[in-house]
Amino acid sequence: MDPNRSALPFREFSHRISLVFMLTLAAALLLLGRAETYVFDRARQVVTDLAAPLLEVASRPVAATRRIIERTDEYAYVFDENERLRAENARLLAWKEEALKLQAKVARYEALLNVQVDPSIDYASGRVVSDSGGPFVDTVLVNVGAEQGARSGQAVIDTDGLVGRIVSTGPKASRVLLLTDLNSRIPVVIEPAHYKAVLAGDNTDWPKLEYLASQSAISPGDRVVTSGDGGLIPPGLPVGLVIQTSSGDLRVQTFSDRGRLDFVRVLQYEFPSKVKRQDPPEVLQGGPEESEETGAEVPAAPAASASQAAARE
Amino acid sequence: MAKLEPYTPTPAARAGRIVMTVMPFVMGMACVLLAFVPLGRIVGSPLTPAFPLMAIYYWAIVKPEMFPPVAVLAVGLMFDLVSGGAIGLWAFVYVVTYAVVISQRMLLVNTPFSAFWFGFLATAAFAGFLGWVIVSIIHGIFVPPGSVIRHMAVTVAVFPVFAMLFGRIQTRVLQGS
Repeated sequence: MDPNRSALPFREFSHRISLVFMLTLAAALLLLGRAETYVFDRARQVVTDLAAPLLEVASRPVAATRRIIERTDEYAYVFDENERLRAENARLLAWKEEALKLQAKVARYEALLNVQVDPSIDYASGRVVSDSGGPFVDTVLVNVGAEQGARSGQAVIDTDGLVGRIVSTGPKASRVLLLTDLNSRIPVVIEPAHYKAVLAGDNTDWPKLEYLASQSAISPGDRVVTSGDGGLIPPGLPVGLVIQTSSGDLRVQTFSDRGRLDFVRVLQYEFPSKVKRQDPPEVLQGGPEESEETGAEVPAAPAASASQAAARE
Repeated sequence: MAKLEPYTPTPAARAGRIVMTVMPFVMGMACVLLAFVPLGRIVGSPLTPAFPLMAIYYWAIVKPEMFPPVAVLAVGLMFDLVSGGAIGLWAFVYVVTYAVVISQRMLLVNTPFSAFWFGFLATAAFAGFLGWVIVSIIHGIFVPPGSVIRHMAVTVAVFPVFAMLFGRIQTRVLQGS
């Protein structure tokens, strides 16, 4: 009898046994993974750190190809683009004048009320080196790790606005949870009425607004910025615009585009927990003599505010 | 009468055989990494095909002995670790899908490419649906299925290119040896 012939059913049998064992193991992993044990987190960090340099090398030709395509597009529309930019520049110059006036006014008020100005925010720049890689997860890897000061919870922005926040860091790379992910929750404020809400990703392109007060009247086109509640993400970061979907729901179109993420900044924001003791403004402390003194001091306020503004820059 | 010497493979031949044996698995792992390269950004899209599913389907039909269940589990687990999603999600989906494909292998082996491609369409639909059900159970809500439908549609659309590539490798390297 040919020995190979008897080996065939045995091989098939062992293949089936192996398949059943792997199915059981995979199911067990799925259940154990829900426990979010330290072992899995550690394994994920190690794998992420090992994969990040490879992905960085592999993503470079992609970025170069994209730049070539964008350049070609720009050359094709260079005259139209030039005209558009001139018109935009003229509009922005008018806005700049307005902004300078408002900046001076705000600085004067801040000095008058002795407002604690937010400290300047350090940041580390890096590149997005990976794609989300799956339909149920919206995370990307950036090549900024703990060695560059990245920590879990820090906000990540690009030139358009808030991209997401860091959820895990290794020495060389960090994972960023994008605003559209199912697990993403960001406290926001809807301007101009200043309604507070939580921006919740739900695996669609447009995150929804949760915990919005029932009487709040928001409308498509309203601007959404971070509220800073919780102290993890600095307030005032641009997030997106309120839009109305075809089903009538109000959602948020984020300023950052998942398909075009490239260079990003990791904001190393520290919540100003150690605030100096702040006395009530002198103008409110009463007494005619004091108010006279205050009146003498008011003209000096713009200088102080200018130094504060410089410190902020 | 001359007596035949028993065949003893040289170290190079042994190394070659090991390479041949692990090649489909290595390609599966390469597909995992490729799935995270932001290829969609070239055209400004966040969509990337499920490359590991292509490798699993192809080798499960063509050479299942070279892509055993343990390799499928390893590929799925690696995908889970790099993706940052639920641990075991894609490991489970890929192993179940592999089991289904193996059970239907006789229908798909040595068939015209159109039937092979249609088989992959059914496989991608099954894998996407299974993944969607598990994620919906994990989160306790009906996760909007739009992204998984788009993801699997792109995967099915680009499958012929990768099937051709795997076929070339199979012809040149595995059968050539």
